[in-house]
Parts: sequence; C-alpha cells; structure tokens
Amino acid sequence: MDYGYYPGCSLTGSARKLDKGVREIFRKLGHSLNEIPDWNCCGALEYGDRSELTRLSRENLKKAEGMCSEIVAPCPACYKNLKEANSGNQFAILHPLELFEKDIMGSLNVKRDLKGKVFTPYYGCVLLRPEETSIRNRNVMEELITFFGGEIEGEKIKDRCCGGNQFFVNKWATERLSTLILEKSKGIMVVFCPLCHMALKTFSKDRKIIYLTDLVLYIMGENNVI
Amino acid sequence: MLNVIEYEKVIELAGYKREDFSVCLGCKICASVCTVNDLSIDMNPQELLSSLFLGNTIEKDNPLVRYCTNCYRCTSACPWKIRIPEVVRALRESLSVASPFEKAFKGSIDIWGRVYEPYVFLKAVPFLLKEGYIKYMARWTGYISVHLPHKVKRI
Ligand code: SF4
Ligand code: SF4
Repeated sequence: MDYGYYPGCSLTGSARKLDKGVREIFRKLGHSLNEIPDWNCCGALEYGDRSELTRLSRENLKKAEGMCSEIVAPCPACYKNLKEANSGNQFAILHPLELFEKDIMGSLNVKRDLKGKVFTPYYGCVLLRPEETSIRNRNVMEELITFFGGEIEGEKIKDRCCGGNQFFVNKWATERLSTLILEKSKGIMVVFCPLCHMALKTFSKDRKIIYLTDLVLYIMGENNVI
Repeated sequence: MLNVIEYEKVIELAGYKREDFSVCLGCKICASVCTVNDLSIDMNPQELLSSLFLGNTIEKDNPLVRYCTNCYRCTSACPWKIRIPEVVRALRESLSVASPFEKAFKGSIDIWGRVYEPYVFLKAVPFLLKEGYIKYMARWTGYISVHLPHKVKRI
C-alpha cells in the first residue's frame, strides 16, 4: 500500500529515532511512505489563533493533493491538527498505531515475543483527547504487547498528562506531572509522543522510556535490545 | 489585563462566539478533572469561562493561563465538550504571555516554515540558562540532531 507521509518537525529533529522506526516498520510490512513535498509545520499546540493553526495544516493537505488519499502522521500533534483541517474528509488521516493494529499481529515478520517483560503503555493526552480527533482503539498498545506475551502495569495512568506542553514554560509543573506518572507505573514505559518521551526521560532516574516503534522493531528481530 | 471589548477577540481567536459559552451548566466537572489540580493549585476552568462571558477581569498570572497543559481532560468530561484549552491559548496570545521558547518556536516557523530546533534552542539559551534547564543536557544528548534548516516555499 502507498501512503502519503507527514513526518512533521520533531520527527526530522529531536524525534528522528521515531521517524526511522516508523519508516523501517512500514518497509518491513511492505508499505511505502511518500513524504508530502515541501510540507510545513502544523503549528503543534502553540497558536492561540485556532484559524491560524488550521490554516497551517490545510496548506499541508493542499500539498498532498493528487499524490495520495491516505496520510500517515506519527506525531500526535501533527495527527490531530491534520485531522482538524481535513474538513470534508478529503483524505484519510492515519496514525501508525491504527495500521500496526491490523498489520503487525498478522505479520510474517515477527521473530520474538515479550514473555517475562513488564510494560506501561503511556498514550498521553493528544492521542486520546479530544475524542473527535483521537485514535479509534484506545487499547492498541496494550493489545499489541499482550498479544506478544508481555505484561501490562500502570493502566490507570495511560491518559494522564505528563506536562510536556509546559516543559519550556514552567518546568517544575512538568517535573511534578511526569514524576506522578513514573511513580504510578512499572517496567518499561512505552510512548508514541515525542514530547512525552522527552518529559518522562528527563525526569526519570532509572526507567526505560521507549517508543512503541522500538518495541515493534525488537519483536521483528531488528533491535536486539529494548 | 484585557478589557471587555478585547474579550470578544479572545473568544473569536479560540474559534467561539460569546453565546457558545451560555450553554455552560456551571457543573464544574471541568474543575474536578483539571490537570492543574494535580499541581496542588486549585483550579476551576468554569470560572475562567464565566469571567470571559461576564467581562470580569482575567490577569496574566491567573493559574490556568499560566499552567494549563492543553490536556483536554476538561473538554472530554464537559457535557458540552467546551474546548477550554483553546480559550486559554487565545488568552495567552492576547495577554502576550508566551515564554521565550514559544516565541522562538513561532519565529522559526516565520523564517523557515518549519521548526528548526537548533535555532529555537539557541534563541532560548538565556531563558534555558536562567531557568536551570542546562542540568538536563546530559539526558538530552540523544535528542540533539545536527542538520541544516529546510526552508519551505510558501505557507
Ligand atoms: S486542558 Fe487545561 S483547563 Fe483543561 S483540564 Fe487540562 S489543564 Fe485543565
Ligand atoms: S464541565 Fe462544561 S458545562 Fe460544566 S462547568 Fe465546565 S465548562 Fe461548564
């Protein structure tokens, strides 16, 4: 299957590990990701002017016209903004989690299981709220992990807020919120949001914070450690 | 501080009309779930909406204006799904309370059409130094990427 791809700013910078992982997994699953040419920033959550935010994502949709009908956007903020700008549902805006759900559990590429390992999937805010732009299956990470034999802990914190949005404004707020999540969870934290990754990593002392893509690549035998 | 006329602008920036807030039930469900309460600051988003609706004063140091994390917990719980974080963002913009980091972020989009992280970081260095972010540098090494900015033709 051919998809349009919107990496967004963070996946070309601080979250390039996530970008690499997504591209690698799609390649292994036999899909191609075609980057939208000349894409611009979606504005993340920085603009108070809602119409400005929508305008930025509409520009991106215009740039995708004619090249694809389905767009994959891994960064939760990009995914949300593209969905909001996609009035009339001209495109299908997809999050990798929505595709992994059906593709990985039935994949022939799977080489390893997760038996004996404990994980806390952490979705954060933007993937799950507000509902009209959230991913459909709110348990997709849990389902993937348990399907491959892993254990889940820390269910009640999965949609708490890590405070990542406040990180470069009032870092004590982020420290407090991220610490709450880290204290109430166990095992390896699995995230998909670059901002959650950074906030949790900055304030954790000894916990592993990984992207779900790291975990999938491990199952596929690409990464030897997680 | 903003006057009542400017509140119209805030409401518009947030994508609302004043009468949209008249549906608020005052049930304070938003207050009961608000993340700012996890910071041990008592917060009631409903008060903010009614201040806007009634034209009461909202100061720059209103805890919600300062600490709202954009988590949308209030919106999810609200019977009317009122998007309070968008109201807060519009207020922040109107009250000009953006942090140097946020300003650098928007500045980067103005120049290149994308966020060029090394630029944002350099612009924010005085703030990062002053606020003690530098102690996290060792943990951030995996996030730092060296690449040239990419200018987008038109946004
Ligand atoms: S979005 Fe802001 S106001 Fe709403 S619950 Fe979260 S922190 Fe509170
Ligand atoms: S939850 Fe909604 S209706 Fe209830 S007080 Fe808050 S904003 Fe108003």
